[in-house]
Formats: sequence, structure tokens, C-alpha cells
Amino acid sequence: MTLWFIRGLRRGVVTTRYPARPDASAASLPTPPSFRPQALTSQTADRLALICPSGALHRDRRVLVYDVGRCTACGRCAAEAPDAVIRSGEFELATTDRSVLIKKIPVRGEAL
Amino acid sequence: MTAVEPKTVPGEVTTFQVASPHLEAVVRDLAPALRLADMFASGGDATTLRLVWANDTVGQAGYVITETPLETGVYPALSDVAPAAFVEECEIYEQFGIRPATGKPLNRVMLPPHAGPPPPGLPTLGHKPETEPEEARAQHTVGGHAFEFPFGPVRQVGVESLYYGLVTSGEEVVDLYLFTWHKHRGLEWRLRGKTPQQALFFAERTEGLSAVALGWALAAAAEAATGTWVPEAAERTRAVALELERLYNHAAAMAALCQSTGLTVGQSAAEIALERLLRLNAQAFGHRYLFGVVAAGGVSRAPDADAIRKILPDAYGEFERAADALLGTNSFLDRLEATGVLTAGQAKVLGLVGPVARASGLAADARQVPGGPYGNETAIATGTAGDVLARFTVMLAEAAESVRLIGRFLDEGTAEGVAELPRTSGAGLGWAESPRGEALAWVELGDDGRITRARLRPASARNWRGFDDACRSQNVFTDIPIIEASFWLTVAGMAR
Amino acid sequence: MTVEELRESIARQFGRSLHIRTLDTGSCAVCEQEIRLLAAPHYDLNRLGFFFTPAPRHADLLLVTGPMIRAFAVAARKTYDAMPGPKIVVATGACALGGVYPVDPFTHGAVDAVLPVDVWIPGCPPSPLALLHGLGVAVGRLAEKVRDLPFTEDLYPERTRGGS
Repeated sequence: MTLWFIRGLRRGVVTTRYPARPDASAASLPTPPSFRPQALTSQTADRLALICPSGALHRDRRVLVYDVGRCTACGRCAAEAPDAVIRSGEFELATTDRSVLIKKIPVRGEAL
Repeated sequence: MTAVEPKTVPGEVTTFQVASPHLEAVVRDLAPALRLADMFASGGDATTLRLVWANDTVGQAGYVITETPLETGVYPALSDVAPAAFVEECEIYEQFGIRPATGKPLNRVMLPPHAGPPPPGLPTLGHKPETEPEEARAQHTVGGHAFEFPFGPVRQVGVESLYYGLVTSGEEVVDLYLFTWHKHRGLEWRLRGKTPQQALFFAERTEGLSAVALGWALAAAAEAATGTWVPEAAERTRAVALELERLYNHAAAMAALCQSTGLTVGQSAAEIALERLLRLNAQAFGHRYLFGVVAAGGVSRAPDADAIRKILPDAYGEFERAADALLGTNSFLDRLEATGVLTAGQAKVLGLVGPVARASGLAADARQVPGGPYGNETAIATGTAGDVLARFTVMLAEAAESVRLIGRFLDEGTAEGVAELPRTSGAGLGWAESPRGEALAWVELGDDGRITRARLRPASARNWRGFDDACRSQNVFTDIPIIEASFWLTVAGMAR
Repeated sequence: MTVEELRESIARQFGRSLHIRTLDTGSCAVCEQEIRLLAAPHYDLNRLGFFFTPAPRHADLLLVTGPMIRAFAVAARKTYDAMPGPKIVVATGACALGGVYPVDPFTHGAVDAVLPVDVWIPGCPPSPLALLHGLGVAVGRLAEKVRDLPFTEDLYPERTRGGS
């Protein structure tokens, strides 16, 4: 047992200070995307809604309804429309109100 | 064709049509020489029974598929000839309503009891069975008395839901049987109508701890079905991801072994290594569990090779130091030795794969099938004792080999890249060596390039049947978590 | 004691010592791995006053993963009913929040179809850091952020600022 004790002491503390302090490892975590409304054309919005495998995106007239709760951060929407979809970097997403996870992203109007 | 040669073309899949009356004889011919890797059915009105056989001999590794169209609702009782087929016979009955000719009892495997005969029932892949399966349960008495009780599906904290029935004479495990239908999500049913790329999202999440392996197997199946060649550098990227997956799984198994034996310091040391490996995954591929790396036709991203070269030595160093300390802790080794013994004979008869099979002396590893990025230099670790300690030492040897392989693949060059899959019909088999053993996938594509039938066979779907035997071999209750950790399977992979 | 005072008292108690029972309603096993790591040295939830307990009778919080497979719903309900009040239900992971698997014959699609959920934690899987944040929110120690995050970014912020 002494072996374990000494090794542990030598390695030191690895515990994160989170939530008191930010943790650097968060920077490489996958996160749900953010959208750029100016680049989100109607066609793009429809394509994104079709490509999301988790049902997190659907079109409702002038907005793209985005359910952050359903998002798996799989990256398919970002790969499909890199101008319109970017990394949000947000991982602290817990909430006591399910409805605040549903975001309405305005779709850029298209001239008919 | 009445005779099927029990030989394989290295690296290839050869398919034979076998008429129904000849099937039993063919199985009798193939069973001694080849391993029955999987059995499944497909088709709507006309059901086709497929058996996938694997040749594990080094240098000759390949696959044979026999296809048998069934005109009636019965087929010969293959599990009498090849016991490795029993669970699949039960599954085929539930999903297609066809059963072995002897009419012997079959167990419920995927669908829960209240799924009931139609309607309402749960959707199946073919015709629903007319009657409920009458369950086959081993008769057990110990000196005339045995106590049987259910355990689960809600079990210890932080583990998957799993129901097992324990039969005991007091402390010793007389029998143990598993029900995994609490976690049946109907993955194969769900994949119908999806493109291979869409299907990958679900294949990865069949058994998330084997996301790369199962994703690779499914992608390879679709690539074989459409005759698509994946660029070599992309194949090596897949291999780097697969070896990283193996590394973190073995670290997690080591932590679970320590937890099951009550060695908290060892558990903490292994968990430190595990966390560092997961963070390496996030830096290298953008996801701690390597989701989203494999794409249909290649890989969606290249690894951050610099990050791997910088971080892997330290992370693996943690793993190695924990393993060395454990191998020097006698109180730990005493719990592992002679626990959960599986003989080579048992492993062979059940068609087990992975470290479980290798620790019992069967040198089977999907990485040695020619044609992949591994070549023929991968060292395959085996053991002889077939106990928990043998499985542990096999995993340690595999982890060391994984580190070496990652270095080699990075040196040879990795890249992102996706070859587009032509939208054609076809069928194909894909495979990858997951941390828990050979993962198989078979797809049949329609003319629009979408899946008409997908078969997912993670290693867990095969290896859980060895768990019963391992627990029965002179073990007590407290050994069950130890054996479970040494198998390191998932319920999700069995139940799908 | 008013209802509000009682709520605050409960939050204070839970904020100092909270016992957590996990529940897998059909996950792919990765959410469970992240939850196990909460007790690992890098995250050590015990330092925050959180503890795992196998007995629902001793638990204050139920941490639920998976899309609530229909065949499991009875077991889920029994586990929840076995917990004495006051209790908190936290649904964690995209599957539990309604993603990945839709409502269909096999799954309810989301945990809140069967259990009354108090806190939702997105992710696939939610990392241990996200889980720690979620547990902090559940006991009122950490503030929620996501309500005020718009998840949009202006391509040309100068234009909108100046008015177009």
C-alpha cells in the first residue's frame, strides 16, 4: 500500500477548481452551434432542418426553430453550411425551464 | 450448391447460396473449421437466412456468408450443430416469426413480454411470430434446493440497466441468465430507409463506447455494397481513432476492475489515466468519445497529430504506472486469479470474440484480416488461463500495442477525406475490432442507395452469452461485478 | 413556514449535501461513463457535497439518462416512487431531452413523458463539467446561463449597429 500512497503524493492534485474557476479542458469540448442569421437563407434553413439527425432543427415560416436540448453537437449542420453555422463554445446549458432551450433563429428573407 | 468449402479468401467475403434442405449439412461442414460470427434474417415476404462465418487463422482471415432463401416458416435447428447460433435463433423468431424445425423452446431476447403477439406489439423487421416464445430455462437444483431471484434492471449507481436472474444455493452462483430487452431501441428497424451517412449517426450510438468500431463496420459495409474505395490516409485516420477508443476502454475496464474489487486507490489511478485519454480524444478528434469521426466513404476530419504526439506519452504513462502498481498488488491479483474462468472450448463453442476469447487462448482479431490499414504486423495478445487476470493482462498488452500502432499510423500519414458513395443497390459486410471484440455490420441497399436491411452486431451482442458460463464456474456473488468488469461489455450493444 | 421559505430551506440543505441515484432508461452507455467520472479524481463531486447512493430511499436527486424506452417505464416509475420527497429529477443527455430517438413504438422519446423533470442538461454526452453545472443549477448554487444565450451571431455587427 505504501507504493500507492507515495505515487499519489508525488502526482499531486488533479481535481478541477470548477465551478469556482473555469476549467481549460472545456475549450476542446463539442458544443451546440450558433447560427448567423444574415447567412441563413430560406434554402439553407430548409437544408439544415433536413440534415439534422436528432430533430433539433425545424422550419417554422420566418424562423428556424432550434432545440438546443435535442442537439448532439454532431456537426452535420456546420459541415453543410459553414457560413451560417459556427461553434458556440457553450457547454453550461442546464436549465430548470425546458422552453428556454428552444431558440428561434430568424431566417433571412428571400426576394421572390 | 450442396458443398461449401470451409475456406476463405484472405481479406475477402465470399457468398454462397445454400438451398434450405442442404443448410444443416453445410453448417455441419463449416462449424469445425470456421467460427460462426453471426446469423440473421432479412426480407419481407420471402425471408432469407444468412450465416456469417469467420476464419480466424492468421494469414487466411476472411469471411464466408451463406444465404438460404426460406420458403416455409421453418429451418433446420442449427444451434444443435453450432451452439453459437441459439441467441440468434431466438432473435430471428421474434423479428421474423420463423423458427428452427425441432420446435424446441426459444427465449425472449429483444422484445419485452408485454410486446405480445400482434397487435399491438412492437414493430418487427419481418412477420411477427404467431405465438409467444416458450422460454428455455435450464433446470437447476443443487442438492434439491436452489434459490432464484431477480436482480435489476435498476442496479448499482452509474451502470447500465440490466436484469439478471441469479440462481444460488446460498453464495455460489449456480446459474445466471440475462434479460436485456429493457434497453431495446429497435436500431435495426430504425435504420431502414436511411442513407449510410444518416445511419452512421445511430450506429455510433448503438454502443457509444464502441462508436468508432461500429461506425467503421457500418461504413465499410456500405462501401463494400457500393464498391467504394476509401483513401488510404483516411483508413489510417479511422485506425488511429479505433486505437484511441481501445485505449480509453481498457483504462475504463481497469478502473471498473478496481472498483469491483474494492481497491479505491487503483480505481482513482485508472480514472486519472482514463480522463487524460478522453481529453486527448477531445483534442485529437473533437469529441471525448470519438463520435462523428467515421463518415460513409472515409473520415470527416483528420486527427490533430501534434496533440496526439505530445499528449499520448503522458496519458499512456499514467495508464502504465497504474497497471504496474496493480500487477504488484497481491490483494488485487488474488481476486482476479481463477475467477470467472472460461475454457478455450467454451469460448470456441459460443463463438466469443475479443479479449475474452483471446484470454482463453483463441487468437481471433479482426485487425488481422488482410486489406485494412493494419497490415500483418499487429501483435495479437493471448492468454491461456481464461480467468479475469488473463483478460486483464491481455488488455494491458493490447493497450501497449495500441500506442505503438498510433505512432506508426501517424508516421505513415493521416488525412480527412470522403469518397462519395454511388447511389446503387448492393449488399456488403463490414468489420472492425472494437475494444470488446469483432464488431460486424451488414447492409443491403436499394436502388436509391438507402438501406433496406441493416444488421448491427457489436461484440457485446456475441459475448454476453459467455458471461453466464464465466459466472457459473465456481464463483460467488461478489465475483459477478469483477467478471462483468473483465468482460467490459455494454447492455446497449446487446439490446440494440 | 411559507412555501417559498420551505423551498429555500430545501435548496439550502440540498446545496450542502445531496444524494444522487442514477437511472438508465436506455442510453448508449456513454452518458453513464461521464456520470461515473464525476466521482473520479479530476472532478470529485464529493468536494461539492454531492454523493452517489444506490438506494432510492436515501436519494434526493434522480439523474436520468436515455430516451425512456417503453419497456423500461415501469422500472423508472418504481424508482422515482421509491424516493421520498422532497426530490429532484434531472434529465441528462440529448436522448433524455427528446433528441436522437423520436416518440415511436419503442421509446417515449424523452424522460419527461414519464417522470416529472425539474432540470434538463443538454449534451451528447454531457461532459462531467456540464453535469457539475447542471447539479449546481439543480440545487440553486449555480446560475442558469442558457436562457440569455441567443445562439446567434451577427455576420456584420457594424452594419446593424449603424442601422441599415
